Amino acid sequence: MSCAGQDIRLSRSIFGLQSGSMRKYLISILLLFAAIVIHAQQTSLPAINRFADITGTVGQSQGTIAAAYVYNWRIGKKKKWEAGLGLRYTGYWGVKKDFTTAPGRLSRSNTTPFLTVFAGQKTENWDTLTVQRPFVNSVNLSANASYNFSAKWSAGFNIDLIGFTFGRNTSAILTSNGITRTESVAKPASFNVLLTGDNDYGSLNSEFFLKYKLAERWSIKAVYQFYFAEYKTSTIQQRAPDGTLVNRFRNKVNAFGTAVAYHFK
Amino acid sequence: MIKPIRCALLLLIVCASCTKSNETSVTPLNETVAGNDTTAVKKVMGAFVNGTYGTVSGTVSIYLQSGKYTLALENVAISNGPDLHVYLSKEIQPVNFIDLGKLKSVAGNQVYDVANMPDFAAYKYALIHCQQYNHLFGSAELK
Repeated sequence: MSCAGQDIRLSRSIFGLQSGSMRKYLISILLLFAAIVIHAQQTSLPAINRFADITGTVGQSQGTIAAAYVYNWRIGKKKKWEAGLGLRYTGYWGVKKDFTTAPGRLSRSNTTPFLTVFAGQKTENWDTLTVQRPFVNSVNLSANASYNFSAKWSAGFNIDLIGFTFGRNTSAILTSNGITRTESVAKPASFNVLLTGDNDYGSLNSEFFLKYKLAERWSIKAVYQFYFAEYKTSTIQQRAPDGTLVNRFRNKVNAFGTAVAYHFK
Repeated sequence: MIKPIRCALLLLIVCASCTKSNETSVTPLNETVAGNDTTAVKKVMGAFVNGTYGTVSGTVSIYLQSGKYTLALENVAISNGPDLHVYLSKEIQPVNFIDLGKLKSVAGNQVYDVANMPDFAAYKYALIHCQQYNHLFGSAELK
């Protein structure tokens, strides 16, 4: 459309020098040209954008690596918007990382879906499970959305929806009201589902990214990642202030990283 | 197009390599309980025996001084390992324990402050424990 706009501006400068009949003729040609250009822009972008990417992030004593396959539909007249689904593996590892009380009813002041993200934190209910050597592998279905600013630049967001996790059992230390106890076999939570905020279960990845297309098939991305990793205790549990026993603990990982994407035909 | 992949991997490797070694110092220490203050009273003591994953020799004593407990490792020699900690524990394989901190050195004499006033009838073991791998290096029953 920007090309068509330039053509119209150019044609206006020419029209000033032309007669009335000539003007009609030129208008017809330019309109036809503009229509072709617009049509060409629309058809030059395929309706589907399929790509695979590998993302790595590194934080303090922890890191992640993710591999994803994404199937996006281009939306809108200009096809600048993309939305779709993907399948993503995320591996998370760390050393001596603190996981805090996971259930949303204990960790947040409001558990209403979506609103819970903005709810206050009930830190008085939090106990800490220091997982000695966390290693979590999660495979999740993901939702993806992005906007193409230009042929080269785009930005977007993705988030895991549902999936499963496997990983290493490891020892952990539960600190509760100043008392420390060893949990010998803490395990990654095996089922993941997005219920928004602290209502989530399991290990779920999400990313904001800025993507730059290097070539027809290759792109690089700068990524801000927000990852939930969840471990469950087997032998030792937190006794919450409401008297319930808690065995789910969550680490919220904020990290920056880079990614490489390959676009399929 | 392999170049961007190489660049991204290189960046990750550089970042990931910025980690510190987790081994304990091997320099022998010669700390004493408040400079051999004669007001320190020895309450309990024990001799270390080897655990499943390491070797520990020497003794451990608990002193009471000015209303506070201090744990003293005396003439200890400990096989090195990652993330070694000094525990007061209710069990030989620690479940309920008090972490006195990271082991300062694998040799010599060293002292550790004990927070609060634990009951040594319950916390009756001093342990040298690898926290990261949950491996017991040595234990001493306090009597």
